[in-house]
Amino acid sequence: MSRFPRLAAALALLLLPATAFAGDVDAGEKVFAKCKACHAVGDGAKIRVGPHLNDLFGRIAGTADGFRYSPAMVKAGEDGLIWNDETLAAYLTAPRAFIKGNRMAFAGLKKDAEIDDILAYLATFSQSGNDDAASAEPAPADTPDTPNEDTAIAEAQPKADEPDDAVVEADAAAEPPAHGVFHLGRPATEAEIAAWDIDIRPDGAGLPVGSGTVLEGETVYTEQCAVCHGDFGEAIGRWPVLAGGYDTLTRERPVKTIGSYWPYLSTVYDYVRRAMPFGNARSLSDDDVYALTAYVLYLNDIVTDEAFELNQDNLATIRLPNEDGFIADDRHEEPHYAAGAEPCMNDCKPGKAEIAQHAAVLDVTPEGDGDEDGTGGGID
Amino acid sequence: MPDQPSRRGFLKGGLAAGAAIATATTAARAADDPAITEIQDWNRYAGPGVDAEPYGVPSPYEAHVVRRNVPWLTADPISSVNFTPLHELDGIITPNGLCFERHHAGIAEIDPAQHRLMINGMVDTPLVFTMADLMRFPRENHVYFLECAANSGMEWRGAQLNGCQYTHGMVHCVMYTGVKLRHLLEEAGIRAGAAWVMPEGADASAMSRSLPLEKALDDCLVAFKMNGEALRPGQGYPLRLVVPGWEGNLWVKWLRRLEIGDKPWQLREETSKYTDLLANGKARRFTWEMDVKSVITNPSPQAPVIHGRGRLVLAGLAWSGGGRISRVDVSIDGGRNWTTARLDGPSLPKALHRFYHAFDWDGSDLFLQSRAIDENGFVQPTKNALRAVRGENSIYHNNGIQTWHVAKDGVVENVEIS
Repeated sequence: MSRFPRLAAALALLLLPATAFAGDVDAGEKVFAKCKACHAVGDGAKIRVGPHLNDLFGRIAGTADGFRYSPAMVKAGEDGLIWNDETLAAYLTAPRAFIKGNRMAFAGLKKDAEIDDILAYLATFSQSGNDDAASAEPAPADTPDTPNEDTAIAEAQPKADEPDDAVVEADAAAEPPAHGVFHLGRPATEAEIAAWDIDIRPDGAGLPVGSGTVLEGETVYTEQCAVCHGDFGEAIGRWPVLAGGYDTLTRERPVKTIGSYWPYLSTVYDYVRRAMPFGNARSLSDDDVYALTAYVLYLNDIVTDEAFELNQDNLATIRLPNEDGFIADDRHEEPHYAAGAEPCMNDCKPGKAEIAQHAAVLDVTPEGDGDEDGTGGGID
Repeated sequence: MPDQPSRRGFLKGGLAAGAAIATATTAARAADDPAITEIQDWNRYAGPGVDAEPYGVPSPYEAHVVRRNVPWLTADPISSVNFTPLHELDGIITPNGLCFERHHAGIAEIDPAQHRLMINGMVDTPLVFTMADLMRFPRENHVYFLECAANSGMEWRGAQLNGCQYTHGMVHCVMYTGVKLRHLLEEAGIRAGAAWVMPEGADASAMSRSLPLEKALDDCLVAFKMNGEALRPGQGYPLRLVVPGWEGNLWVKWLRRLEIGDKPWQLREETSKYTDLLANGKARRFTWEMDVKSVITNPSPQAPVIHGRGRLVLAGLAWSGGGRISRVDVSIDGGRNWTTARLDGPSLPKALHRFYHAFDWDGSDLFLQSRAIDENGFVQPTKNALRAVRGENSIYHNNGIQTWHVAKDGVVENVEIS
């Protein structure tokens, strides 16, 4: 006994009070751009990643000639799922929820108007009688959104699922597909994940078991880091400065260090472990990285005890001074981006343009000898 | 078509330019041109055969068209940047060998047979893909610009580098072939509560960033081809992330891993770097989108005006991380008066757009500027407008209007003006 006709009827009852399926064919063609990678429609449409969609309305689910459907989709058809406005609308809203285990990768259309439009468009490729589809064809061009319908579909989903044991049974009875939609790739092993998953978050997620002291860190630092970063984190040449720079962020030449600028200590552990020392990454032990991180705290006067030990339990509890120094991206609220500002075209500024600054005078543009030195404002 | 030259004007201009190149003199009524009257070697002797260059290279006369770097910018060329020679290019597509590069530990030289892409974290099934696996997902082709967030970053404190290669050359635009990142993530099955993706590179910096899941599921690609051929090693061969419209640092090269999580990781490249320090000492973070921007590529300091007065063609590029460019205005008097330029070629969202503006130069000083407007109505601001709000320490996201001064002798310089 099929459950789908009842589901369709239930949906139809919910949907009918609204001006259902007054979709716009032209708009639907645009929405169909989201589907075209996998589905063909129209003259000569062939099977692609998904089945062709000619004569979709009235088609029993899972029956397009030549397409290898998921067991779940075949079962849905056997259980009586026939594609029409109601069933397609429900399917396109949440493909994976509507038929669990089916292979369509598409996440679903969020807007009901888009679903109406695409159904109107697809209906133009269906010969077989579908009253709803036929009535959708002469739809008005400007279909207003129908909030009632939104609510109806949103509510219909869970309600429809409840009495619909057959769907659940079909899912359980079907061969459980391998992972995913395309069944490509293979499961990663635990050892593989452990080998690559080295990232650390501010809350301490990902920290390995281990520890290291400031004194131990000094030894590693002197051997491995000081050549670029300097004995006290002051940096050699243009290598990054690691320490100091407090109260410089508003100055003309801010010194952005771990102590003065970085918001989270976890970033130090993560970065040193993944990328340092430069040119010999992944060569430090987890304990060495704890020790170096502790030493960098010491260089920045955030800890003062040489015996201080950093470990997986206390790293996330240490706060860096500039944690609160960051704000969200609000560029679009800047006055020069004020909405609707039409730019000036004529007589926009008084007087003739006068040169205020010459790049040529600085003479820092490379000419081949590489002797130039910039005045700052470089990338880093 | 206000920009269309008359046939007569075009012929005159063409003749003048030809004469200038041939005789290196001004365009007078020239003597007979030996380029025409004498038989040239290439007109007499047979040239190299089809086996001479299995992989074609540009003419030796184009040997100056190369990426360049600025040695003083960084501590070491291994972790540094080179710049696209925008002033030598036209159209909207950047040739693969001229796409600027920014590496953080040099170029990873990867055997594609040994390359793997792992998806782990908040997924139903952590997966490993080979390159061959990835080729079996639905492929897509898209043209996108990639701009480093630090492009024009050297100009915050004033005119510094003399050439659009240096001021604006951390941008390129190619056609990518790849698969939707969404397909890969959904293959592993995204768990409820997931909100972030961490792409990670296989290079010796293990480049990594936090990317909102919403963007990852929207238009991101995992690409293996650029302009039809395999990615260049410096562009992430064999696999890179494509994050349309967003800063280049997110486009992780040599992509080997995607971790799904519920919070951002606060990695070095999104805290210490790629955060925009404001005058008040606070810094903006997660400033991903690239703002509306344009630059006149010709003439520019490395491409002076060599033909004297008369017909002068301005050429330039415009782009916006928000979508398409709807209009570009140009000024020849330093922003006092503006004329809308002619956009030409494909207008693709989050891709470079090419614009031209032609006029008769009277030989007086010019202050060339361009101002782009994107489809969302955002207008490219002046550098001073940006400085007024942000100060001069932002490094990143400088999309201010560029000024080139063209002197009477045709020499072009990067300047700041009143």
